[in-house]
Amino acid sequence: MRMRHDDDRLRALMLAGLAGDGAAHAALLRALLTPLRSFFRRRLGGRDDDVEDLVQETLIAVHQRRATYDPARPLGAWVYAIARYKLIDRYRRSGRTTALDDLPELADEFAFDEASDARSDVDRLLDTIPEKQAAVLRATRLEGLSTAEAAERLGIGESDVKVSAHRGLKALAARVKDGWR
Amino acid sequence: MNSEDLIASLSLDIQPVPRHALRRRLGLGLVAGGLVTLAVVGIWLGVRPDLMPAMHGFTFWLKWTYTISLAICATAAASRLARPDGRVGGWLWLMVLPVLGLAVIAGLEMAATPSAGWLAMWLGASWRVCSRNVFLLALPIFVGLLWSYRRLAPTQLALAGATAGMAAGAWGATLYCLHCPETSALFVLTWYTLGMLGAALVGRVLGPRLLRW
Repeated sequence: MRMRHDDDRLRALMLAGLAGDGAAHAALLRALLTPLRSFFRRRLGGRDDDVEDLVQETLIAVHQRRATYDPARPLGAWVYAIARYKLIDRYRRSGRTTALDDLPELADEFAFDEASDARSDVDRLLDTIPEKQAAVLRATRLEGLSTAEAAERLGIGESDVKVSAHRGLKALAARVKDGWR
Repeated sequence: MNSEDLIASLSLDIQPVPRHALRRRLGLGLVAGGLVTLAVVGIWLGVRPDLMPAMHGFTFWLKWTYTISLAICATAAASRLARPDGRVGGWLWLMVLPVLGLAVIAGLEMAATPSAGWLAMWLGASWRVCSRNVFLLALPIFVGLLWSYRRLAPTQLALAGATAGMAAGAWGATLYCLHCPETSALFVLTWYTLGMLGAALVGRVLGPRLLRW
């Protein structure tokens, strides 16, 4: 199981960091960047500055409050609880209270879980469109990378990323409309 | 600052975190606040002169059993709520037991006393000040717990505040027993509990304001 595996790996980094290993601590924080970005991006809808702000606030909290991690529990749940708190705190400061009600059920989303049914549906759907478009969509929409990061990762230009994402989404929409399955 | 730089600077000087850092932190706040409360009891209220003989009697230990068992439950709950993903579990519900137990004993006491004596039993000699004193004695401990929480990560702020207030109230009441000569279970059940609930209410109100991080 992928999820177990990821949590165990990150948990090992966390424990090494708690024991005073700075390199492991840095590796953990770096490994959290992608899931945190996609977590906040999905909820803030594209306001990238806010996303990065919250990612950084969460990383600082993970760092400063690492004594509150209970090694007997999954790391994902702990990080998720911090990220969720930071998000709620942000809503509260901006005087927004709606959209909070649906947060508790999202608890599972942050588990480093790639095996859910929804995800495998998406994977199957992505398999039906050209490879490059699928790779771009995976990078930008699922992993939450920025255009520049995706371009670097895939070794293509930024405009190519944008065009491929656009075409990919259009192709997906067409597949869904055609009654894919 | 970009996130990579942030991570680099956060990882620059990593101190090992001791295994029981969270408990130690809570314990420190609790003990520091408790010592202030103890000093206040000693200097302002005065320890009851008959403390030694009273400690050989039943009612002193009844009172302590009540306040200490509540204090343990509330402290355990407060320590769980100090983690971002913490759930209180059954600790808060467990507090019903000492209350029910004391209520049963109060009932037995009343059954053994002619009804003309009930009012005196309920009000004792100090009902006007008892709840207030318990509440005031809770404050230093509450401040100590707030200090502990500053480096911890409560996410249910109102509940964490109320629980910390309850723990402070119950430990404050425990120390108040060193002064208070009242002996009836009905008295303790009413006025001690009221003082503790006052502290919990203040914690409930202040939690969302003071515990943010």
